[in-house]
Amino acid sequence: MAAKIKVYSGIKNLIIGLGVTIRHLFSHAVTLQYPDERWEMPERSRGVVVLLSDKETGDLNCTACILCAKACPVGAIWIERHRGDDKRWKLDKFEIDNTICCYCGLCEEACNFDAIKLTGKYEFSAFDKESLTYDVNRLQELGLDVDYEPKRKKPAPKPAATPQPKPATDASAGEAKAESAAAANPEAAGKSPEVAEKKEQPGDSAPAAETKPDDNNEEKGA
Amino acid sequence: MELTGLFKWLDGVVASIVSALGLPSWVAQLIEMIGVAAIVLGVGAVMIMFLVWWERKLSGHFQQRFGPMRTGWHGWLQTIADGIKLIQKEDILPRDIDRSVFYWSPVIMFCCSFAAFAVIPWGRGLIPSDLNIGILYILAITTFVVISLLMAGWGSNNKYALLGGMRSAAQIISYEVPLTLSILGVIMMTQSLSMTAIVAAQDKIYNWFIFRQPLGFLVYLVAATAETNRAPFDIPEAEQELVAGFNIEYSGMRFAMFFMAEYLNLFLISAIAATLFLGGWQGPLLPSWIWFLLKTLFIVFIVMWFKWTYPRLRVDQLMGFCWKFLLPLAFANIIISGFLYH
Repeated sequence: MAAKIKVYSGIKNLIIGLGVTIRHLFSHAVTLQYPDERWEMPERSRGVVVLLSDKETGDLNCTACILCAKACPVGAIWIERHRGDDKRWKLDKFEIDNTICCYCGLCEEACNFDAIKLTGKYEFSAFDKESLTYDVNRLQELGLDVDYEPKRKKPAPKPAATPQPKPATDASAGEAKAESAAAANPEAAGKSPEVAEKKEQPGDSAPAAETKPDDNNEEKGA
Repeated sequence: MELTGLFKWLDGVVASIVSALGLPSWVAQLIEMIGVAAIVLGVGAVMIMFLVWWERKLSGHFQQRFGPMRTGWHGWLQTIADGIKLIQKEDILPRDIDRSVFYWSPVIMFCCSFAAFAVIPWGRGLIPSDLNIGILYILAITTFVVISLLMAGWGSNNKYALLGGMRSAAQIISYEVPLTLSILGVIMMTQSLSMTAIVAAQDKIYNWFIFRQPLGFLVYLVAATAETNRAPFDIPEAEQELVAGFNIEYSGMRFAMFFMAEYLNLFLISAIAATLFLGGWQGPLLPSWIWFLLKTLFIVFIVMWFKWTYPRLRVDQLMGFCWKFLLPLAFANIIISGFLYH
């Protein structure tokens, strides 16, 4: 008798199973046709690292402060820089080795100038390892279409902010922006002082903070 | 679009050409036989390609995937691409195989499956050879598949292949019994072994044997699924235990022949089910051969549906299910139909 009941319930369960699979057959496929369609990556996804440029002037936001290189736990960022005539750091070389980058995002957190950002871009496979080390041009190019919201500026560290008189740095920052912008885009040159003003606080703080330990070196590698 | 006169037309054309050339009549017969076989083989090949594609699409959609999408519209060229790939592959012969046995196994398997199509009524008057023992012939010729599988298993000189071959021999021989007995109910009612007579007996929809022999249909469907070594009865090629089963040492076109024979078998059992239980090519409005294909593909769909619903049976469960459950059901079907209709 027990076996009989088992047979009936078994047949019932077989039919239930068929019902489950036919429901899946007619429900929509969840596959994304990858090269034709792509996921919309979340805003804070941590993909390839890019350097951001100023939206109006087109210059790099980077001030060569090397905070990112110092924050990087694996040493994937290599920066070389020198003092310009206006006493500001100029970038000579900015390289990110994507083969050792661990996409932790600490560089982005360390940066005070919205200069470096991890993006949702993930398609950067290559045939040789060397080509995965991106130079400044490549990084800037990758960052051109990245939309970013300017960070809330942190108040400048006190020991760094006090020795520098404010108006002087303001002027120098404005000049530096204007100079480079004028070369690329004469029309945008007029707008650049405004941008420089917006950035005044970090503009004077970080280079000042960085100058002290690095005063004696012309170049700094990280 | 009825193709009723196709074989007769072929007959006439060949006969007139041969007589015009002054050749003996057996030449005409030979050419005609080859011609009909070529037509059936062509249709069979197209059906294989379609079934492989359809199986992959259905497998995908049962798992909420798409299946092949990139070769042609919804991947319809996928089978052709696979075929071209398989033709290009090297035909590897392992060192310690039994050569002739290894060589002929896939050929025998394909030929046996293909030969059964000789008595399938494809449409009104579209039957390559109207044997008066049609269904008996099918049962006899498809049993040769066991020999082919055993040959493949033994000739490969590989433990997985041998295990797969032995399993499938045991399985097919066991399931042959309920399969034959379930067909017996239909034969009892038509009083004929001829496929044409069986189709003719199902002229009205309420005369279809699926309604007169529902138990027989179920037993046939389950036993036929086991006959074709398909899931949930696919223990001869249980990937997780036997890697690939009897065909593990095969490569290239020889593997493809096993593969094609598998789908040919699937089409064959579905065609038999459609002919015996679903009224064959009979149906309103549409041409008869379309009705035949529709019914056959419906059965194919059900078998594929089984595959994606049920997990594989263990070897002892498989045998127990056959001898303790299907066989008594098949006998019960015969007894019931004997009492009800005679």
